[in-house]
Amino acid sequence: MEKKEQKRHQHKHSGPKAQKKNRKKEQGTEQEQDERKRNPRAFSVQSAVRMAKTFHRAQDIKTKKHHIPLVDRTPLEPPPVVVVVMGPPKVGKSTLIRCLIKNYTRQKLSDICGPVTIVSGKKRRLTLIECNNDINSMIDLAKVADLVLMLIDASFGFEMETFEFLNICQVHGFPRVMGVLTHLDTFKNNKTLSKTKKRLKHRFWTEVYQGAKLFYLSGMVYGEYQTQEVKNLGRFISVMKFRPLVWRTSHPYVVADRMQDLTDPEAIRLNPKCDRTVSLYGYLRGTFLKNKCQVHIPGVGDFSVSDVSFLPDPCPLPEVIKKRALNVKERLLYAPLAGVGGLVYDKDAVYIDMPSGHASRQQEEVRPTTELVQSLIGTQATLDAKMAASKVSLFTGTAALTPEEVQENEKQNPMESREWDENAQRERRRAVFADEDEKDDDEEEESDEAEEEEEEEEDEDEEGLTTLKKVDEKADETAAPPVKKQKIKEPMEMPAFADSDDELEKSEGEESEEEEEGSALIYIKQINLWAIMNLLYVCLSVAEEEEEDSNDEEELGGLFKVSRPERSKKVRADAMDCSRFQPDSSHDWDQEEVRCTSIRDCFVTGKWEEDKDAATLLKENDELYGDFEDLQTGEVHKGDGGDDDDEEEEAPQVKLDDDEVQKNKRLEKKRRLKERFDAQYDDGDATYFDDLKEEMQKQAELNRQEFEDVDDEVRVQYEGFRPGMYVRVEIPALPCEFVTNFDPHYPIVLGGLGPSEGNVGYLQMRLKKHRWHSRILKTRDPLILSLGWRRFQTIPLYYIEDHNGRHRLLKYTPEHMHCGATIWGPITPQGTGFLAVQTVGGIKANFRIAATGVVLDLDKSVTIVKKLKLIGYPYKIFKNTCFIQGMFNTVLEVAKFEGASIRTVSGIKGQIKKALRTPLGAFRATFEDRLLMSDIVFLRSWYPVLVPQLYNPVTSLLMPVGQKDTWAGMRTLGHLKHDLGIRNKPNQDSLYKPVVRQVRHFNTLHIPKELQKALPFKNKPKQMQAKGKTPRDLQRPAVVREPHEKKVAALLDALSSVYAYKNKKAKAEQHAKHKEFLKQKEKQDAERQKRLKEERKKTYRAMGQKEKKKLKSSLKGASKDN
Amino acid sequence: MEFEGCSCFRQRLVLSTLSRKREKILNIRSKDDNPGLRDFEASFVRLLDKVTNGTRIEINQTGTVLFYQPGLLYGGSVEHECNVQRSIGYYLEALLMLAPFGKTLLRAVLKGVTNDPTDPSVDLLKVTAIPLMKKFGIDGAGLEIKVLKRGMTPAGGGEVLFTCPVRRSMKPVQLTEPGKIKRIRGTAISLQMANRIVDSARSILNKFIPDIYIYTDHMKGASSGKSAGFGLTLVAETVNGTFLGAEVMSTPQGQGDPVLPEDFGRNCAKLLLEEVYRVSITKHTFVSGVDRYVIEFLRHIRDFFQIMFKIEQQKPGEDEQKGGEKVLMTCVGAGYSNISKTIK
Repeated sequence: MEKKEQKRHQHKHSGPKAQKKNRKKEQGTEQEQDERKRNPRAFSVQSAVRMAKTFHRAQDIKTKKHHIPLVDRTPLEPPPVVVVVMGPPKVGKSTLIRCLIKNYTRQKLSDICGPVTIVSGKKRRLTLIECNNDINSMIDLAKVADLVLMLIDASFGFEMETFEFLNICQVHGFPRVMGVLTHLDTFKNNKTLSKTKKRLKHRFWTEVYQGAKLFYLSGMVYGEYQTQEVKNLGRFISVMKFRPLVWRTSHPYVVADRMQDLTDPEAIRLNPKCDRTVSLYGYLRGTFLKNKCQVHIPGVGDFSVSDVSFLPDPCPLPEVIKKRALNVKERLLYAPLAGVGGLVYDKDAVYIDMPSGHASRQQEEVRPTTELVQSLIGTQATLDAKMAASKVSLFTGTAALTPEEVQENEKQNPMESREWDENAQRERRRAVFADEDEKDDDEEEESDEAEEEEEEEEDEDEEGLTTLKKVDEKADETAAPPVKKQKIKEPMEMPAFADSDDELEKSEGEESEEEEEGSALIYIKQINLWAIMNLLYVCLSVAEEEEEDSNDEEELGGLFKVSRPERSKKVRADAMDCSRFQPDSSHDWDQEEVRCTSIRDCFVTGKWEEDKDAATLLKENDELYGDFEDLQTGEVHKGDGGDDDDEEEEAPQVKLDDDEVQKNKRLEKKRRLKERFDAQYDDGDATYFDDLKEEMQKQAELNRQEFEDVDDEVRVQYEGFRPGMYVRVEIPALPCEFVTNFDPHYPIVLGGLGPSEGNVGYLQMRLKKHRWHSRILKTRDPLILSLGWRRFQTIPLYYIEDHNGRHRLLKYTPEHMHCGATIWGPITPQGTGFLAVQTVGGIKANFRIAATGVVLDLDKSVTIVKKLKLIGYPYKIFKNTCFIQGMFNTVLEVAKFEGASIRTVSGIKGQIKKALRTPLGAFRATFEDRLLMSDIVFLRSWYPVLVPQLYNPVTSLLMPVGQKDTWAGMRTLGHLKHDLGIRNKPNQDSLYKPVVRQVRHFNTLHIPKELQKALPFKNKPKQMQAKGKTPRDLQRPAVVREPHEKKVAALLDALSSVYAYKNKKAKAEQHAKHKEFLKQKEKQDAERQKRLKEERKKTYRAMGQKEKKKLKSSLKGASKDN
Repeated sequence: MEFEGCSCFRQRLVLSTLSRKREKILNIRSKDDNPGLRDFEASFVRLLDKVTNGTRIEINQTGTVLFYQPGLLYGGSVEHECNVQRSIGYYLEALLMLAPFGKTLLRAVLKGVTNDPTDPSVDLLKVTAIPLMKKFGIDGAGLEIKVLKRGMTPAGGGEVLFTCPVRRSMKPVQLTEPGKIKRIRGTAISLQMANRIVDSARSILNKFIPDIYIYTDHMKGASSGKSAGFGLTLVAETVNGTFLGAEVMSTPQGQGDPVLPEDFGRNCAKLLLEEVYRVSITKHTFVSGVDRYVIEFLRHIRDFFQIMFKIEQQKPGEDEQKGGEKVLMTCVGAGYSNISKTIK
């Protein structure tokens, strides 16, 4: 859209405005600056309350911005950023990934399966993962995503998946979320388009945060998004910053981008369902990963890692950052699951794929190699067979890749060739254990570099032939620790941890031979270190049996002398467990000489270091602050300078003739001055928060520096594998379904577990039913929880905490309130969030996330109780005492409840006193009132509830391909009944019946005769008998009027009615008149009142004036007096 | 995890409790005339059971095999009758490591022997371990070791109160400089001979530093325990706030050679000097020096937490007289945090 040219603002050159401006200009800028002075009223404090309010508000906003400072543990070379592309199906996820890859690497990737790692910039790599429409994948990816691209079909609007995913993210630590609107080209009308955009944007903002970035991908060009828009999106991704999330910074994790089955093929042949040994590859993220730690693979289960090793980065960042942009060769792409990646060598096999970094390369050309690698990945053959196969296909599949070219490639890429070298060595190393001939070859090769490549080929050919024979050796090889294999190449690695002593010595010898002069110094230092480490961690146990070594040890680490009274190992195993150290070589402290020479300086009375010596410090201070003038007295103090004799006598001064020393000293002085200044001027508003932050910064710096100069092989032993490394994790005993049903579209995450997170126990958590979930949750219904790395099914019990701290069981979760839940599940640190879904299989229309919450407490015992009412019936009632039976069965039970308070349904309280002998379980109880036989007595008590110990990890990754989203665990009771068609048989009494109202019959009231007599007649029951028929003779005859009499009666009637009418009329008239009169009277009254009031006013005023005058005159008189 | 023999029995159990890894200890004194766990070890296991919740302990018939599945560290009020074969220090050392990671504040009353010649006494732990724990960020009003009653070796009868607050995590520490010793304090435990012991100890230490003060213990009558004995605990404080301790205790009556109180005091002072000579710069200064026990401890830490220490030797300066060679040990923490503590 072109913008319309707008008319520019025209400055006025004449008129009052221009004059005003000119005047201002003449007067200068001073006045403008000093607005506070010019208009003080505008800036004065109008209201203290408002001022306080504004101050409070400002402070609130300031404090709200604070986050708990975290120690910065980001490695120098961070792992690729995990970008998860998420959205409902058919929204354009794959297209977007493809476009992004094309944007960054200029390559086309047709099939996106598994993570794709690309170099996106000089300092950033991205791992793009597509999230399929399965809640399992959504949960797993939300836990590892750094950035989520949330695709929304604008033509349709939001779908439930989007909201579900947002909620999942919220629970597991919110990654950065960027919305992307697609299908915008379906809108024909511009107005509806902009309206929809706005509506979606605001809805998105309420979900994420106000102002969250929402991208618009307007339309497709040849099946791709517009280049410019993708480029913009890419830029946003490249500059995005991430906040560390607590769970992730405290747990290592790997998003596996490669999987290799290492199982012995013979074992598979014998038993196709045998457990598999699998190595998984990926960038390590989060924190340091220790070798032999426990990991959880969501969707599979818990496993302990047998071996971790780091490999050279397959997708490294550019080594030197000089140029402005990346060149073509640096734009790498690595996606082994999708069949793309450079030539990769590692311990197990060789992997070949399309050479990266050819922008002009066509899709068709890529295809064959991709197939090749696919076939490599697909095969379940032995490693050696795989190796051979790769070789063969290398020559047959691509004509371009001849062996010479391979070698050329190696020359071009020195790192790779080194890799190759290492690989070859490894193979030869294997021969060392297997047969002697190859060992010889090995040594020859080491001497002769030129022949090496040919030899390699030979080796490999041999392997191709003798695949079966070597399988066993291979297995042995992989089982042994990796450290051993790389011994020759790596002089710095720890021989100390080798199995036996002689091997150790040998490797040390090799080290000394192979070491170059450049690192000779470090080497010597290290060997000394190794000696100590050996002594500490390995040798001691071995060495103790061999006495000769002890001398050596003493030389190496002077401190470590071992006092051992017994020789035999057996006895040592049962040695006394005592931490007190008995020094064996005591100095003779009585001698003055010993005393002086050895520990003199350990005391404050001894000699101090130069920089800490009191005298020196004093002197320096003098130099800094020596010259000052005492203003009060006017006295001028001169600094002592350097010529203070007595101080020099006390402390041996070092001659400062050396320039270097001088310079250092000056720098030191400067630093100290600066510190002083900072302390004086900055500490004023330094808060606790700032201090904490600074402390953490220092610690982070220290952590970084401590192991910086140590070689990687060794460093890994100290601190574990650093995040950012490309690691190979070997896991034994994986279920075979993991390999046979492997689907690269589903993410494999290796989540490292903390020291105790592999155990199972009771977890108490705070839980709230999600308000969008349509039904409340029932206690004891199985629920699938996503907690920590895991997804598992468990049976929660819901409870609520009473005022007295009792945890009372609830049958259902409250509708809109938090409640407690206790589950039997994996131990997870408190404060970890979780979410619950009822099923992971299938897609229901409504919102799937049933509840969210947080872990509060871990325990090995449960404290939930439910109410238990024991019911009894009185069988004998005295005054306030009664005997109650039916509540208990034995005397012992009663004895346990003696003194307990009981209550009747009608509300009479009582207490259990003592058990009765017969009937069994009956007891005596007293009440505050007399009971009736019809009363029911009950005892309210609390009964502890046991939490069912169900912990069932969701093994969705083990399901067959295509059915991975159909995992169904334990069903709920309702589900089960529904499936089996079982109807609940209700209690007959509980059923509703038609309401039939019975007619009530009341008995007649019986009044005693005596009472009747005493009653007044009015209240006496009237014994009226029904009148019988009057006999004919007693009946009065009817009167028949004469005609005259009739006339008289009629006249009288007429007269009386006329009279009545007249009367009525007169009365009405009278009434009206009286009303008038009253009105009149009221009026007169009001007037009179008014008049009276006025008169009164007048008199009062007069009185007042008089009084005033009097007062005035008296005052006057007084003033006169004065 | 499997171990053999009962050496480092406490370390293994404590680390297992902290790391929540189950363990099995085999062949406990299996070749011994009196095989199996001793009474004091059984007492220790019982104490662990008291401060934890849900611990599973299985001991076979002869007591030569112990299976230990740790539960959750609980803390709370605990009263324990410690076996008199070992002093309370034996039990307290383990509790010191466990207590900060419990669910609630630990308040343990331990009854038994407060001082004996084999184990570090309660007094020594009080003066060395508590300041160290404070450095790790475990401080506050709750942290203290208090000797309520004293009890000597054979019969015991002492009583110690140990309280410790719980913390979610510990602070990283850098103890890279031992610093110079600025003062020496001590406690002499004896009714009659306290002055003689103190004088003799001072006679040696005075040549190094004048700031020495040795208290005499005030426990009398019933609170002084069931059996007689005497001892001296010395502690040297450096300017950096590290503490070096040494102590000597008399052997129980009728055992060993009788010692003169003067020799006794002198011996203790010499021990302290030896300690100063050896002091190494480790995180565990209260078990100062790299001896067999520490080495075992480091190995066990590696086994349980996969933590290895980087060890560097520090060469002393040419004209400095600072005792023996020192070692700087560095490690990266395991990221351990207290998962028993409840959050509300």
